[in-house]
Amino acid sequence: MASSLRALLVEDTAVQRMVVSAMLRNQFHCETTLAKNGKEAVDMFLEGNTFDIVFCDRDMPIMTGPEAVVKIRAMGATDVKIVGLSDDDNAMEAFISAGADDFVPKPVRPETVGPMIQEVINKKLEQLAALA
Amino acid sequence: MDYSNLRRQAASLKKGLFDQGHLDEQFRQVEDLQDEASPNFVEEVVVVFFKDSGRLISNLEQALEKYPRDFNRWDAYMQQLKGSCSSIGASRMKNECMSFRDNCGQRSVEGCMGSLQKLKREHAILRQKLESYFQLLRQVGPAGAATRPAM
Repeated sequence: MASSLRALLVEDTAVQRMVVSAMLRNQFHCETTLAKNGKEAVDMFLEGNTFDIVFCDRDMPIMTGPEAVVKIRAMGATDVKIVGLSDDDNAMEAFISAGADDFVPKPVRPETVGPMIQEVINKKLEQLAALA
Repeated sequence: MDYSNLRRQAASLKKGLFDQGHLDEQFRQVEDLQDEASPNFVEEVVVVFFKDSGRLISNLEQALEKYPRDFNRWDAYMQQLKGSCSSIGASRMKNECMSFRDNCGQRSVEGCMGSLQKLKREHAILRQKLESYFQLLRQVGPAGAATRPAM
């Protein structure tokens, strides 16, 4: 599956950043930006960066995933698809309450992420078609 | 050099890691991410894993001493380590992480200490076996001439 999506991966653990970002780049051809915690992610949006999809871990130093999601949505970034990540299934509720669109349990698998990425691609294509 | 024999040894070592439960399917997912652009990706991930996990275990040991019966703090360290173990498929280590967290939930200091010792053993075993595996791979493949990264 090919895409030119701009993905933001928010993850404090180095190993998980390496594995998930490699998956997004190699298997889904996403242009992937990394943030090590929620504050870095929020700062990227404040700096005017835009993304098509955000994958965000829950438990991170300085600012957690749900806290970052609340702030990102409050900035008006309502179009970007935000997907929460955690190995704790109970985290889903926290992410959805914060304004995330979806949740993926860890370890992150291509078969779980693939349909979400395809959904964003389809939405972009529809938007382009509407403009034509 | 008998490359075919080295390749057989590497394959056997890797099979053993899976058969003995040290690694699970997630490790194969990580292997799938290795390509021509990043030919040493798996070893690089493993190096980072052991660097991080060693640090986390050391931090946890200090926390056990400095913050007695602070199960929430201990659990937080172990949650992070468990996540790393899951991401590379370090299955037996992950199970010991879960055992430690269960003991935190039961507020059992003795249980936590026991789990930690088992975790450290699994950590050492996995590290030694993967070091041997990658050493063999370096001898048989194009990456054989690369500088050995410190684990």
